[in-house]
Amino acid sequence: MEFFLQQTVNGLTLGSVYALLALGYSMVYGILKLLNFAHGEVYMFGAFAGYGMLTILGGSSALVVPVWLALVLMFLAAILASSAIGVALERFAYRPLRQSTRIAPLISAIGASFFLQAAALLMFTANSRTFNTPQLIAIDSGIPFGPIRVWMVRVLVIVTSFVLMVLLYLWVNRTKTGKAVRAVSFDREAAAMMGIDVDKVIVVVFLIGSALAGIGGVMVGLVFGRIFHIMGFVAGLKAFTAAVLGGIGSIPGAMLGGLMIGLAEAFTTGYISSTFQNLIVFGLLIVVLLIRPSGLLGRPELVKV
Amino acid sequence: MTAPDETGIGVDEWVEQSEGRREGHTGFTAPARRLFDKLTPGSRLTLFLLAAATYPFLVRGSDVRIGITILLLAMVALGLNVVVGWAGLLDLGYVAFYGFGAYFYAIVASDQLPAHWPTWIAIPIIVAASALLGALLSLPSRRLVGDYLAIMTLFFAQIFVELVRNFERLPFVPDDLNLTGGPNGIPGVKPFEFFGFEFNGQELLGGTLPTFSRQYYLVLVFLGLLIVGLHNLNDSRTGRAWRALREDTLAAEHMTMPVNRLKLLAFAVGAGIAGLSGALFATVQNGVFPNNFNLFVLIIMYAAVILGGSGSIPGVVLGAVAIAYVPELLRDPTKAGLLFYVGIAVVLFVLVRRWDKIAATVGGVFVLGLVVRFFSSRIWDESILGEVNDTSLSRLLDDWVLNFESQRDVITSYAFVLAIVGVLLVVLATGWWKIAALIPTLYLAILVWENKLVFQPSITRQLLFGAVLVVMMAVRPQGLLGTRRVEIM
Amino acid sequence: MRTRFKIVGLLLALALVAAACGDSSSDTTTTTADSGATTTTAADTTTTTVEPMVCEATLGFIGPITGPVAFIGGVQLNWFKYAVDTFNSDMGYDFQIVEGDNQFDTAQSATLAAQFIDNGDIVGVVGPAGSDNVDAAGAVFEAGDPDLTFISPSSTRVGIAAKFTGMFRTVGTDDDQGPTTAQLMIDQGASKVFLIDDQSSYSTGLAASTTAALEAANVEVVSESVTQDITDFSALVSTIPDDADFVYLPWQVAANAQIIANQMQEQGKDITIVGSDGLDSGDFVVPGALIVKFAGDISVIPESADLLAGFLAEYPETNTFGPPVFVATQALLEAVDRVCAAGEVPNRANVQAEVRNTNLAQTILGTPVSFNSDGDLADGRFYIFQTDADGNDIGFAG
Repeated sequence: MEFFLQQTVNGLTLGSVYALLALGYSMVYGILKLLNFAHGEVYMFGAFAGYGMLTILGGSSALVVPVWLALVLMFLAAILASSAIGVALERFAYRPLRQSTRIAPLISAIGASFFLQAAALLMFTANSRTFNTPQLIAIDSGIPFGPIRVWMVRVLVIVTSFVLMVLLYLWVNRTKTGKAVRAVSFDREAAAMMGIDVDKVIVVVFLIGSALAGIGGVMVGLVFGRIFHIMGFVAGLKAFTAAVLGGIGSIPGAMLGGLMIGLAEAFTTGYISSTFQNLIVFGLLIVVLLIRPSGLLGRPELVKV
Repeated sequence: MTAPDETGIGVDEWVEQSEGRREGHTGFTAPARRLFDKLTPGSRLTLFLLAAATYPFLVRGSDVRIGITILLLAMVALGLNVVVGWAGLLDLGYVAFYGFGAYFYAIVASDQLPAHWPTWIAIPIIVAASALLGALLSLPSRRLVGDYLAIMTLFFAQIFVELVRNFERLPFVPDDLNLTGGPNGIPGVKPFEFFGFEFNGQELLGGTLPTFSRQYYLVLVFLGLLIVGLHNLNDSRTGRAWRALREDTLAAEHMTMPVNRLKLLAFAVGAGIAGLSGALFATVQNGVFPNNFNLFVLIIMYAAVILGGSGSIPGVVLGAVAIAYVPELLRDPTKAGLLFYVGIAVVLFVLVRRWDKIAATVGGVFVLGLVVRFFSSRIWDESILGEVNDTSLSRLLDDWVLNFESQRDVITSYAFVLAIVGVLLVVLATGWWKIAALIPTLYLAILVWENKLVFQPSITRQLLFGAVLVVMMAVRPQGLLGTRRVEIM
Repeated sequence: MRTRFKIVGLLLALALVAAACGDSSSDTTTTTADSGATTTTAADTTTTTVEPMVCEATLGFIGPITGPVAFIGGVQLNWFKYAVDTFNSDMGYDFQIVEGDNQFDTAQSATLAAQFIDNGDIVGVVGPAGSDNVDAAGAVFEAGDPDLTFISPSSTRVGIAAKFTGMFRTVGTDDDQGPTTAQLMIDQGASKVFLIDDQSSYSTGLAASTTAALEAANVEVVSESVTQDITDFSALVSTIPDDADFVYLPWQVAANAQIIANQMQEQGKDITIVGSDGLDSGDFVVPGALIVKFAGDISVIPESADLLAGFLAEYPETNTFGPPVFVATQALLEAVDRVCAAGEVPNRANVQAEVRNTNLAQTILGTPVSFNSDGDLADGRFYIFQTDADGNDIGFAG
């Protein structure tokens, strides 16, 4: 039981980070039908912006401000950096290709991804950076959860991402801008004819998706500790997987997909084997897709004739 | 920068006019393109093969080796083009077939197994086995469309790498069976051998042709045969059916086309080509290693297909040449520098286009440089005393641009970010504002280049490669030799 | 708008072509520079045959400067540059360098090997890192020019140096390190060891040799493995049995080992971590952890500490992969120096002959370095250190 709970917490932490990333992925996909392969790099820059802010504030061991303020400032820095990069990507890499075939922006995304990785390598070098979170938030702090104790940072990560997802869900479903986002993702041309400023909606989606990625970056830095210039590649793949698994374009689907992959990885490692973790998780996902070809919460696409 | 209202005339009409747009070449590239159109596919191929066959006579062994890389990429990209460009199936598992062929050949032609298969037996078996694997893997994917197909096949690609890396640890594999070599891969793969002639890395014609020429011509022959085969396939009933499938699966199904069988066939043909290319790769590299078949390699294949023009055989070959050659070109700092400054000049001409403004920009940058240098050297003399890169261009600029002796990394990092912001502003600004933004941006770009990028040629190479990809796609979204199509949603 | 884009495209293509043709133009520039040089030397030779001959050489570097393990290649490249710069300024030479980025891709390593063979100026190569890359590049060197020396600063697989004529290495093999590590754990009374490898060529080799030695002494080994690119090990940490005596991490990415140490602490697993030489890095500071180091602690050996300080004054950071590059470069440079001192013009064959005679009494690693007939280190010794509460490494008497 204790082992099971521990693995659940492990999986939830990892899964909520995947979910945050998958949200940005899924929103962009929903609106542009574009696989934004540079999303992982946006996340990486968010992590480095958070780290930069931490360094400015004196580093984990010699903070000049209270811890909560440092955390807020780190998240703000990450949000700023990531959303700036996300919006710039949209404007300069994807917008020129909006009228072309669907796989063409894939190469722009890959080019942008190479560029951003190399830029990070130039500015931050290849050595990993570590947040030294235990010096920030003591490693024996935490809240009890059944027989085990959950570290405060994990609590922070899980709670923050759940709150963000709920907020996002409400924003998409309850606000006017959210409605515009849904309209544009349903039918871009019709939305434009109804007087919706499509360009603006797309920019907003990139802004929010990238901000979520930035937050995810700082969270990974806080909870796992290591950030490095190429961290976006694997994370981007996981996010893509989570988004598709949940039903691409669906916001609750992305959350569910992210959490499922996180949990599947934890339980596979815990109960079966770490060596074959990827093999088993991928095998599992294949089975899920065979049973539900449009993802867990995705609706089968209606083909317009 | 494409105006969003370009399709404003209505998609149907736009589609209807597409034929006209395709034929009417305008502008100063028109003569060359009309000439290209006039050539028959046969003569195009002959010209290409002639040029490719002459190449080893002109260069050194290492360049021949780069040539092999290009030809191999062209082969494997042509196979991918069957699946993606013709049948319109987004197959992200393609690299697994390439790896399968490579590992298959490596296992039967090295000391991994006691038996060494003769090449002429191994190759047909590898191609058939790869095609069979492709068909098998397409079976569960039949129900999936678009990105769900993409992710499913992506899992296959990742599973393949995991399998070869951990094969020995699988529970059902006997302890003494070391088939894939795990993370160590399989070194010492034998070269192809036909009629007692070994296609190894040695020279040809008694040294007239440099090293690697044997393998180069071997790959070239296979590529030529492949192009002929694919051209005929494209013109065949199956080829036409694939294109119908790509444009509109539903309509194709209503025309009583066997959609599932066509998809399966596309997967199988693509996989067979990938398997053959993989076997060639294994012999050229003298070994196979798990990292040769990771997702980065898949990305490069896709880049070749899409950059060249998805669906077009000459386009894909051209794309492979560009994708494989540009990074090699950028290895040399002198050439990368040349590309950088020529690139700046090009951007200047295109963005500004008026001689008075160009003169104002160049003059402005020049004066700005002198002013900055004058004041900076008075305030902080370390800003001009730094190390200068040892190329003629850098030495020429040494008296004009700042060269920091200390704090170089910090300053250039900030300047780098500012320069990127500047580039973005330049794209957005209009009129004289553009010039106003251009002058400091150009200065910053040169500053960063001379202070940082020339000293980090390897990172710069990746930076420029990424930028070239983004710009190329923005310039020609349909690919270099592709035709513009509208996505029918 | 569209025509403008066409112009951009055309001009970009022209720029590429121009750069491609830069091949020939740059060749001509270098030849003019060369001819300038030759005219002066020609003038010199007419007037003076007694003046010392100009000792010129170029060294190549192959390493993963970008890509997944750029933290290895970036630091290695800096140490390479530092070694050449230091030697140039100390000895008054002007040796040149050519860097080649293989992105940790075996195919690119092979291409770079071919390019270095064709570059007649290059008399020796430092690199590549990783035994699989050594395999790929070595095959090309062996077939193309066995006289060209390449010294790998990080390749530990047993027997690989014997396969290639021109290969040397400045790190010990798995057969040196594995048994040392196993003996350490046995001496500490280990009965159960939890071993995690990172699925790299380096890690699996070391894991195998250590496991063999442990099992020979009837120590139970529980093996798991993870890929290098994941950064969350909490699920794996939960599976570490409480009765394990040691957690052994033969890893390259020290920062990942730090994460696993933190997560063990988080989950209350108080088990000593034993790290391979890959964890000898500022990224891994865990009080009580035992680290098997290939060299002595270079920060306390006076000569090494000076070199290290000089390096850090110029480059931002270092790690365990750096110093062996310094030694490899040093071996090459001193070989060239000896060739010149003997009055010969350095070429690949005589440089390789001199590299074989390498006998560095004192190196930055704190140990003497010489090569055996295979090209392996003659005496690949490993030392064990323990991290104390302040994060300093202290010698461990076990």
